[in-house]
Amino acid sequence: MTKFTLKSGSSITKPFNKVWIILGVLLILIVTFSFFIRFEPSLINLSELGVILEKMFTPKGERTWGDYFGFVFTLWEPLVSTLEMSLAGTIIGSLMAVPVAILAAKNIFKSKFVYLPIRFFMNLIRTIPAMILAVVAVYFVGIGVLSGLIAITLFTFGIMSKMLYEVIETVDMSPFEALESSGATKTQAFRYAVFPQIFPVFLSYLIYIFEINVRASAVLGYVGAGGIGMVIKDNILYNYDRVGATVILLFFVILAVQFMSNYLRGKLQ
Amino acid sequence: MTNLEKVLKNKPKTWIINSIFTLIVLIAVIFSFKGSSINMLRFNSIGITIRIMVTQMADLNIDFLFGRGVYSFQEGVVFLTLETLAIGFLGTLIGAILALPFSFIAAKNVVGSKFAKIGETILVIIRVFPEVVLALVIVKGFGMNALTGVLTIGIHSIGMLGKLFSEAIDNMDKGPLEALDAVGANTYQKIRYGIIPQIAADLSSVTLYRLDINVRSATVLGIVGAGGLGSSMILAAENSNWDILGTIMLAIIIMVLIVDAISSHLRAKLV
Amino acid sequence: MIKFENVGKTYPNGVQALKGVNLEIGDGEFVAIIGLSGAGKSTLLRSINKMHAITEGKLFIDDIEISSIKGKDLRMLRRSIGMIFQSFNLVKRMSVFNNVLTGRVAYHPTFKTLFGLFPKEDKILALESLETMGILEKAFSRADQLSGGQMQRVALARALAQKPKIILADEPVASLDPITTVQVMDDFARINRDFKITIIANMHHVDLALKYATRIIGIKNGEVVYDGPSTDINDEMLVQIYGRSLKHDEVLGE
Repeated sequence: MTKFTLKSGSSITKPFNKVWIILGVLLILIVTFSFFIRFEPSLINLSELGVILEKMFTPKGERTWGDYFGFVFTLWEPLVSTLEMSLAGTIIGSLMAVPVAILAAKNIFKSKFVYLPIRFFMNLIRTIPAMILAVVAVYFVGIGVLSGLIAITLFTFGIMSKMLYEVIETVDMSPFEALESSGATKTQAFRYAVFPQIFPVFLSYLIYIFEINVRASAVLGYVGAGGIGMVIKDNILYNYDRVGATVILLFFVILAVQFMSNYLRGKLQ
Repeated sequence: MTNLEKVLKNKPKTWIINSIFTLIVLIAVIFSFKGSSINMLRFNSIGITIRIMVTQMADLNIDFLFGRGVYSFQEGVVFLTLETLAIGFLGTLIGAILALPFSFIAAKNVVGSKFAKIGETILVIIRVFPEVVLALVIVKGFGMNALTGVLTIGIHSIGMLGKLFSEAIDNMDKGPLEALDAVGANTYQKIRYGIIPQIAADLSSVTLYRLDINVRSATVLGIVGAGGLGSSMILAAENSNWDILGTIMLAIIIMVLIVDAISSHLRAKLV
Repeated sequence: MIKFENVGKTYPNGVQALKGVNLEIGDGEFVAIIGLSGAGKSTLLRSINKMHAITEGKLFIDDIEISSIKGKDLRMLRRSIGMIFQSFNLVKRMSVFNNVLTGRVAYHPTFKTLFGLFPKEDKILALESLETMGILEKAFSRADQLSGGQMQRVALARALAQKPKIILADEPVASLDPITTVQVMDDFARINRDFKITIIANMHHVDLALKYATRIIGIKNGEVVYDGPSTDINDEMLVQIYGRSLKHDEVLGE
């Protein structure tokens, strides 16, 4: 607080600048959190890092550049698995999300006893990262693409249901009410009054989540859930060059998915 | 044919596209079954297994929770959760600060369309690199500890936040910049008084959103050795220590819910 | 004093925004520039603080030829010229006080301004400018919480804080309602009178221009077709400047 007095006699007080408070809180948080980071300075080995990077992007030992890029061709099958896993998981998870999202939308089922518990359940599923779902799935179903599929389905279900119910709540309710009053059940009213309004957005979210899932599924294999991730896990100890080649392939694949995703979502607008 | 029948005939045949999609999905699902060796033993006993899991999970291991008894404090869930939070927080902070200069070189408003494309490409390269692979590489240089986690999340966030920041810069109102030009401000002053006040709120909102995601990532990165809950978790799963796993999962859920709530609340206040 | 000597501006694509402009504007005058949209009013105005650079001729401000100045000298020129915009151009999320203070940035080294370390005199000056404009009590409100008229006053306060010799105004009241328009134009008149600051304004509304300005400059197709006291203008000359009789929205009415 500073008080200013002007020549004319009037005075005015400048209120305290909130920015300092925010910076102060941030500083406290930084210092506090730093205490929880364990690290061993002795383990830092930057030259090792450089060595690894070099190994990743040059052919190992007696292999030639031909081998290096040739390896990419062997990745065809895992890549297809990854994409399949993502696509199927996204679609199934999204479809599962639809009824749940409807239940969670305040404007369809107005009772608190319906939407509050559903939302809580949704939040619970959403907190679990895909990778962890994959670990659990692998335990039950074994190593392979199926566990990845299950993990992605559940993960998609979690995000899509929240995104979907938020969209449903912004929808124009008048046609819905009109249909209900003419005797339609909630389902019918939803199908004909609400669904057409949200379908383009639903598709847009579907594509967006697919993009996220391709990224996620590429690494789920690391814990055994199939796809390219497994190739990385198999080679990470001794064949850095193969890991590097895989990463490069992955880079282009994700880039392609991103372009396609942006293009399609742009056209949906 | 009557007119009505003609119109009906010409109705867009969406069912074709729908069937194709359904077919693709079905094929994908079937192939994924083929590709995995379902552990039939576990699959058959799924009901029993789940029951055991759930009862063991519910039986919270207090020692493990606080790091007493057999477990050192640093192995306890409380510590690990805080460490995970710390990794997420510090990683996001570093990422946000470093993302700023990158976002300037990717923003058309600042460097013009041609250079912006170069900046964007750099950001895309950083972004597309999967976090897990990044962690695997960094772990070699910095050891299996929390520092790796912070660096991984930091670097990955540069890519993510850099893009969102540059979009915020491109969307801003150019009027105040014109006024600052007319007043005689130099480039730094224009950034400080024209750009930063306008985008600060957007940037904070985006960063908070990223924090939410990064805290979840932090739990996962532990699996490859970046500190936090992830490593204990995978160990517990492999050894079927459901009580430990249960405690960890509970901690993750609580932590994420809290961070989510704080993040949403603050973001609402920023609008 | 501002002197245009055969000034012209041609864009790279061949479009000629200004041609053969010869003008002399003395200190303390209140000049209004009128003409059709696209006739060159904005270009003429902005060439004075070099927001648009001229391609032909010479432009003198207080006997200094400005076509070659750049960098620090350009900024020093601009800091003594205030500019008011149709869309106010305030930083919406910043406080009114800070918005006015930005008028002073060119007076201090970069380092200090980056940290907001303005000397106390500047802060008092900013507050006094706000007081002159009658909105001192809004000093610490966020700029976007004010009405249109108040925002333009903040812009005027920002200009006043520069302690300028000239204030340029690009259609300053075009976004305001009729009552606020009169209030803001009164403010311009008061500033011109009390502080002896030269005012050069692009005006969309002809009757306002005639009422407040002492001198009118009419532009048509980039050329000056009228330059004289506002009292001497009649309808024929207006038709000549606009090429037609005035439209409904070019007159404020009443």
